Amino acid sequence: GLLSILRKLKSTPDQEVRILLLGLDNAGKTTLLKQLASEDISHITPTQGFNIKSVQSQGFKLNVWDIGGQRKIRPYWRNYFENTDILIYVIDSADRKRFEETGQELAELLDEEKLSGVPVLIFANKQDLLTAAPASEIAEGLNLHTIRDRVWQIQSCSALSGEGVQDGMNWVCKNVTAKKK
Amino acid sequence: MKHFLRMFVQVCLYFYCKCLWRCLKFVVRKLTGQCELQRICYNTKPGAARTMKIEASLKGSKSKRLQTSVNVHPDAIEKTIDDIMELKRINPDRNPQLGVSLQACLLQIVGYRNLIAEVEKLRREPYDSENPQHEEMLLKLWKCLKPNSPLKARISKQWCEIGFQGDDPKTDFRGMGLLGLYNLVYFAEWDTEIAQQVLTDSLHPKYSYSFAIVGINITDLAYNLLVSGALKTHFYNVAPEAPTLTHFQQTFCYLMHEFHKFWIDEDPLDIMEFNRVREKFYKRILRQLQNPEMALCPHFAASESLINM
Repeated sequence: GLLSILRKLKSTPDQEVRILLLGLDNAGKTTLLKQLASEDISHITPTQGFNIKSVQSQGFKLNVWDIGGQRKIRPYWRNYFENTDILIYVIDSADRKRFEETGQELAELLDEEKLSGVPVLIFANKQDLLTAAPASEIAEGLNLHTIRDRVWQIQSCSALSGEGVQDGMNWVCKNVTAKKK
Repeated sequence: MKHFLRMFVQVCLYFYCKCLWRCLKFVVRKLTGQCELQRICYNTKPGAARTMKIEASLKGSKSKRLQTSVNVHPDAIEKTIDDIMELKRINPDRNPQLGVSLQACLLQIVGYRNLIAEVEKLRREPYDSENPQHEEMLLKLWKCLKPNSPLKARISKQWCEIGFQGDDPKTDFRGMGLLGLYNLVYFAEWDTEIAQQVLTDSLHPKYSYSFAIVGINITDLAYNLLVSGALKTHFYNVAPEAPTLTHFQQTFCYLMHEFHKFWIDEDPLDIMEFNRVREKFYKRILRQLQNPEMALCPHFAASESLINM
């Protein structure tokens, strides 16, 4: 009856996944986090420190860590590297002036020993803006094709409208399985 | 089935209590010869305690006229009071003070609602660098905080010195829109000394945080206190009539200063503790506002005119 179902549920607890959400300030990390948690996204403020939320998805418990992207805070990113299962890197596709800066930060992250082999999903965010660069252009600009030491994916999205976010998260769930099993 | 029964009992209990409450009110009314509004006004001293009771009484009334009275236009308040007096068969000549007291309460209740609308409008207006008025305010913020060091260019790393994230503050206002800028400018302009002091302290390596960004976060905190109704206690105690945007901005100044002290007392390890400390601070303010006597009593210049009770 009911008890046995409960017992069954208990015996297969959701696998916990630690996701690190990084990117420059104003890339849209917190909006993405709130979109994932189906929360209101109209009252976002710049992140001092970090936010964390747990989201259930496809049998996983995703613990998403959203760390502020302000230059002053970036040195603290490394405190959150340990035990990361998936790295999500968010880029403001319309902020062309800072493509170089965001590329540098990403390259540094990929060189980190504690993140070696961690699958990386790059969100080419803000595709709702007319001036947004397409994901293919960003992939080329960042030389993503030279990444050989891990699985990676670039996904265009709009954290504001939610478009493309679920596709990215499907990729995340697929690659967690690949890595952990 | 069990669940349904429990719900059924709860619904019955609700109607029973409501009925009992109505009967009680009826009996007390007959005994004292006063309606609930009169009893509140005569037994509770003016301020949040009284206004909040009046508000609850009006909203819970079975008369539509009384229920909707909390939504009227400020200009229609006098007429509304007359209607209420007539409806409740209160003789204004024998109870001259009652009309005045009710009017003061209603002004505060209606004023609070309108203040929410005004604040919400500002929050929804995004910062626009093409708008000369917005730009002027932004530059004013700089001048008030850094009078001795002119800004070398509109796009400049200097903005980081007052705690914006990058070289152009326009992307930092986000979901708080113009409200964030208005609050920061008010703080810097009317509480200049304290604002400059807080800014200087925020640059201290041990307690370092980004002044402007924290200001935008504290704007969010003040906004939530306002919209949730928690600030009613404060405003009903300090604003003799309708609370205005200035009252809200003064509250912001108070919260900035209090948060700053709270942050230092908490002795955080680094800026990554910000959200934990902010949450703790928010809960403390909420707890304080549960006391109907509470006024967030600001102890500095801009707010001296604020305390009147």
